[in-house]
Amino acid sequence: MNSFKTSKIDRRLFITTATGATLFAGVGGLNQLLASTEQELVALVHTQAAGDSGPIDSMIAQLNQLSDEKEFEKKAIYAQDAATFETVFRTLGDAGTSIIVSTFPVISESVKAVAPEYPNTKWIQLFGDPVDPPIQNLVTVSYDYYLGCYLSGVFAAKVSKTDKIGFIGGISIPPINADFNALKAGVHSVNPDAEVKAAFAGSFQDPAKGYEIATQMYLDGIDYIQTDAGGTDGGIIQAANETPGRMVSALSPAQYPLGPASVISIVNLDFGQSLYNEVSSALNPGWSGGAHVSTGIGTGVIEFERSPLFMEQGPTEIVQASEQAWSDIMTAREDIIDGTINVPFITSI
Amino acid sequence: MIEFHEFLVAILRSGTPLIYAALAGVIVHRSGVWHLGLEGIMIIGACVTIIGIVLTNSFIIAILSAIIICIIVSILQWFVIEKLKANQIIVGLGITGIGIGGTAFAVESIFGSLAAISAPFGIPRIGDTFGPYSGLSVLVFIMPFAVFSLWVLLLRSRFGLRLAAAGEHPFAARSVGANPSIMRLIAFCVGGLFCALAGAELAAGSLQIFAQNMVAGRGFMGFAAVIFGGGHPVGSAFAAMFFSIVSVVGIRMQIHFGNFVSHDLLLCLPYIATVLGIWITARAKGRTNSASQISELRVQ
Repeated sequence: MNSFKTSKIDRRLFITTATGATLFAGVGGLNQLLASTEQELVALVHTQAAGDSGPIDSMIAQLNQLSDEKEFEKKAIYAQDAATFETVFRTLGDAGTSIIVSTFPVISESVKAVAPEYPNTKWIQLFGDPVDPPIQNLVTVSYDYYLGCYLSGVFAAKVSKTDKIGFIGGISIPPINADFNALKAGVHSVNPDAEVKAAFAGSFQDPAKGYEIATQMYLDGIDYIQTDAGGTDGGIIQAANETPGRMVSALSPAQYPLGPASVISIVNLDFGQSLYNEVSSALNPGWSGGAHVSTGIGTGVIEFERSPLFMEQGPTEIVQASEQAWSDIMTAREDIIDGTINVPFITSI
Repeated sequence: MIEFHEFLVAILRSGTPLIYAALAGVIVHRSGVWHLGLEGIMIIGACVTIIGIVLTNSFIIAILSAIIICIIVSILQWFVIEKLKANQIIVGLGITGIGIGGTAFAVESIFGSLAAISAPFGIPRIGDTFGPYSGLSVLVFIMPFAVFSLWVLLLRSRFGLRLAAAGEHPFAARSVGANPSIMRLIAFCVGGLFCALAGAELAAGSLQIFAQNMVAGRGFMGFAAVIFGGGHPVGSAFAAMFFSIVSVVGIRMQIHFGNFVSHDLLLCLPYIATVLGIWITARAKGRTNSASQISELRVQ
């Protein structure tokens, strides 16, 4: 009986000790790995998985490029679980990380909680709102995507034959509503009589709904749709591909090949470039935190661009119209940058 | 404004996956189990169809692969419920999680990216002889026959009688020589077939795309159609079609009245219709008849 009891205690002790030793070794190893470097360490903490052929891959690629150029150590860490955000930040802070870049909004509260504890670390929150009161070692960055949508509206008014423009968003939330209102303002700045209609798929990952909405818009005579719907865009482009003359303005250069003769343009938001700009700035000894950066067009982060594939393979008449319109688009772009044009930021529909 | 035919095409296009999902739910429901794994098995069907087309360049191989894998997952669901005596609702939700997570894992493993996958072609279309309906896939054309066949199978055949007995009174079914466990296994396998068709139609019917979590609740709406339709194949098909009509009308209203009515409210229409439909059904019947079935399954 006694030997059985002893054996049971031993087993428990063994399991507890082994688990503790493993955890200790794991955490210690991570700390040691992070602390062992002699170069500055820049860490990217991202809350969406890599391999998206989109923002995360773009940010990692730009971090790698900047690391090669400026010769610093870099780490990209995927923080999947909100419960671990603060632990990840503290581990990086304890390891003496010079710059921590985090994204997206879901992680911003953890940044605000931990950043003051590590005043020697520079913190950059991509896609974050201004912090009040400011935290002296934290810079937040927001994106004025709606300015690109305004240019898309100006372009749409000039290339549309039917004077009917559509907008398909993922979910009706304030920033996406602002994108629609900016598109509408852009259209009406050229043609006040043009119709601009919006619809939402209710999801950023429902291409079937996107297809259905786009098909109905095109059947109603709309010939230019601005998308703002993430993974739903695939269905919208598919609907545009079914009949020549249907145009889509999408979100990413990766979407050009999905509709060589239908994706006419994109309102591009280059998160990788944004990371590059902000980390370059933070590497400068004169960097000061406690600020909010509002990134718009003209920074290389947000741009309205024509599809080179469409210019080669699109309907000749539309390609010609877009070429004629392009100088006006560039003029409007400059006017936005220098403040001549003030695009309204309206977050309700 | 769009014409009547185009409106009907839109209803058929968005309603067909729901109807196939509802048929899967109906046959499993008749066997005495609530099929809450429709969402998960549908997305597996969608994923395998698109990956199959991309990798083999053959629609036939792709759809057969989807059917086989969906049937295997259905058998897994049956095994856990029937043999391991797990709670059927939890298992159904677990299958949904496996479907959503497993397809993301499969896509990343095969293509090294979580981005949406585009196939070079989809399900064959029914052809120009059908005029405005020519853009619909052959699965839309087959759908009414599938509904009729299931109606015959469930309500006009010896098998259907035994299946209903297995679902409603397992002990009585056993007394006449029908093994309720085997009857449920067959029901799950047929359900797997229909789920594969639902997923294939969603991803490759009009689209040729697979995106993560693209089923977006349609499996649960298919399940709701089963309840709304009283577990009857024709009734459930009409219920699914009703949800589709509401969805298409919601899109039309967004386009035309979006400036006056909240987009969020209009987007909610199919779900409001679902809740109302189930409530009306429950009122009409005076009760829901499935709770007792769960307890009967447990006490076997």
